[in-house]
Amino acid sequence: MRADGAPDLRVEGLVKRYAPQVTIGPISFEVYPGEYLSLLGPSGCGKTTTLRCIAGFEELTAGTIHLGDVRLDRQPAHKRNVGLVFQNYALFPHLTVYENVAFGLRLARVDRREIDRRVGAMLELVGLGDACRRLPAQLSGGQQQRVAIARAVVMEPRVILFDEPLSNLDLKLRLQMRRELRELQRRLGKTTIYVTHDQAEALALSDRIAVLSHGRIEQIGSPREIYERPASAFVADFIGTANLVRGEVLGAVEGRLTVAVGETLRLIAEWPGPAPRGALTLMLRPERIRIDWPGSEAAENRFTGTLGDIVYLGEDVSLTVQLDGAVELMVTAKSDARSRTLVPGARVALSAEPADLHVLAP
Amino acid sequence: MTAISHTAASLDDAGEPRARIASWGTLLAAPYALYLVLVLLVPLGIVTVYSFFTYSTTGVALPVLTLRNYAQLADPYFLRLIGRTAGIALKTTAICVVLGYPLAYALARAKGALASLGFFLLLTPLMVSPVVRALGWYVLLDRNGLVNTVLVACGAGRQQLLFSEPAVLVGLSHLLLPFMVLPLVASIERIPPSLEEAARNLGASPLGVFRKVILPLSLPGLISGAVLVYVESASAYVLPALLGGRFVRMIGNEVYDALLVSYNVPQAAMLTVALVVVTIGILGASMALARRAIAVGRASR
Repeated sequence: MRADGAPDLRVEGLVKRYAPQVTIGPISFEVYPGEYLSLLGPSGCGKTTTLRCIAGFEELTAGTIHLGDVRLDRQPAHKRNVGLVFQNYALFPHLTVYENVAFGLRLARVDRREIDRRVGAMLELVGLGDACRRLPAQLSGGQQQRVAIARAVVMEPRVILFDEPLSNLDLKLRLQMRRELRELQRRLGKTTIYVTHDQAEALALSDRIAVLSHGRIEQIGSPREIYERPASAFVADFIGTANLVRGEVLGAVEGRLTVAVGETLRLIAEWPGPAPRGALTLMLRPERIRIDWPGSEAAENRFTGTLGDIVYLGEDVSLTVQLDGAVELMVTAKSDARSRTLVPGARVALSAEPADLHVLAP
Repeated sequence: MTAISHTAASLDDAGEPRARIASWGTLLAAPYALYLVLVLLVPLGIVTVYSFFTYSTTGVALPVLTLRNYAQLADPYFLRLIGRTAGIALKTTAICVVLGYPLAYALARAKGALASLGFFLLLTPLMVSPVVRALGWYVLLDRNGLVNTVLVACGAGRQQLLFSEPAVLVGLSHLLLPFMVLPLVASIERIPPSLEEAARNLGASPLGVFRKVILPLSLPGLISGAVLVYVESASAYVLPALLGGRFVRMIGNEVYDALLVSYNVPQAAMLTVALVVVTIGILGASMALARRAIAVGRASR
């Protein structure tokens, strides 16, 4: 959890220029002791480059990185005290599991019995106590992953970095490893930077998420803030599914903003400040839109439309609804008994709470 | 752990067709194996038989079995010859390892046009005929050659460079460097750069990365390269003949003389067998040493 006081790691104005056309940054953020920060974004957004700059595999074009009070970006990679778990695990194929985990301790000339004790405890912690003498090639993907984590954590680095560690695993194993990572994090309380393009992973694991796009941080905040109050259309669209609706501001009264969408549709959103002028974008999550079944209570914003595509997802059904104002909405509903009555082409009444209509910065 | 059993199952599925391909592969090697038997094993057998025949002043050899040819090996002249040959081959191998490793690493990690240029330059010694290449070194190292001209200009004085062991070593390592570098490049290319980064991240200096990751993982390439260079230099003939002259004779030169100058076929055969035996012996010993070094390296910290 985020603690007050000095950050463990501070990135300030990080810029990395590959070619005149390809520049990443400036990027600035801080990670606090014990915090789990995710860098989330599509490929090419600069998240892995940022991580490699922190680990010392890339040189910064500009900016600084501090680990505590120590200027990190001038140090060679092998003197940084920053652990890294690689996407492809990067286990040494010629060394056993034990030797892999002991690799850094041996280089640091730690006493032999101490190495034995720490490596043993670490392998026990990740549930590989019996696999000491095996070679990485004899392990499953999930087990290799655990060795990679053990190898980084056993060095007791001040900050540990993960570079898309779960992206090589199949879905079921990925979910299992995600739970294990959470559990491990809870026990170790390590300051962590976690790079991923998987928003579900970032939401499930992080204390805070930094969403990156085109080499910049679009937004940094708690998973709930990022999901419910995205700062931009990009963030809204990248995290989960979002209905983005363009409209004209009609006016604001008592913390509520009225927005005209097309000719007929009027939407009310919660808005604390004075009314902005002109056009803006409203975001509405599909699962926050209600289907107004006969007899159920409707929310304040009501609209009707024609059902388009209906996709059955097991737990949910995903609907496309063509509103009467030329707007198309994605709607997620529980796949309960009532949802069986939905057929393409039918009329459907929908509603949404003003609190769930989020105004994106115009 | 359903995921693990799933992986194991898919491996099994893949294993069977691959095994079938492997047995076909063995069959595909048969023509070459036959060729080897005809041009290598059979002649080697004949040579071995001749090495036990008796020297004849009138014919090729008398088909009377004797050990007298091998008794010549007790002669200090032949012992020095064998020692010199093995020594030059080992030194050439060592020079190629020292020069070749950094080069191989650079080539393995280079990209695009730079890599192509590097490989081209590496292979240039093999594009020239052995005699022309040796003559090139002869001209360079001559009393009035380019190297001596530079030495005199620098005030180091004129040196006798030709007909010395260093001259032979220079010529051999120049020729044989590609044989060391190419297998090394193939080995190093297969080491993912992320392994080097992982080692750096765990506190290994660049030298530590080499010792703990690059060296053990490229050992197969190092061994094949070393074997090639050693065998090639131990059986060298043209380079020691031109650059070593009468002073740095190797077994190859002695075999040539025995065969074509003194017409002592059994002696030439005996020297050939001695070369093969010594080469196999030294290779075997080095392999055993290398294997032990790895075992010791892994057992210790």
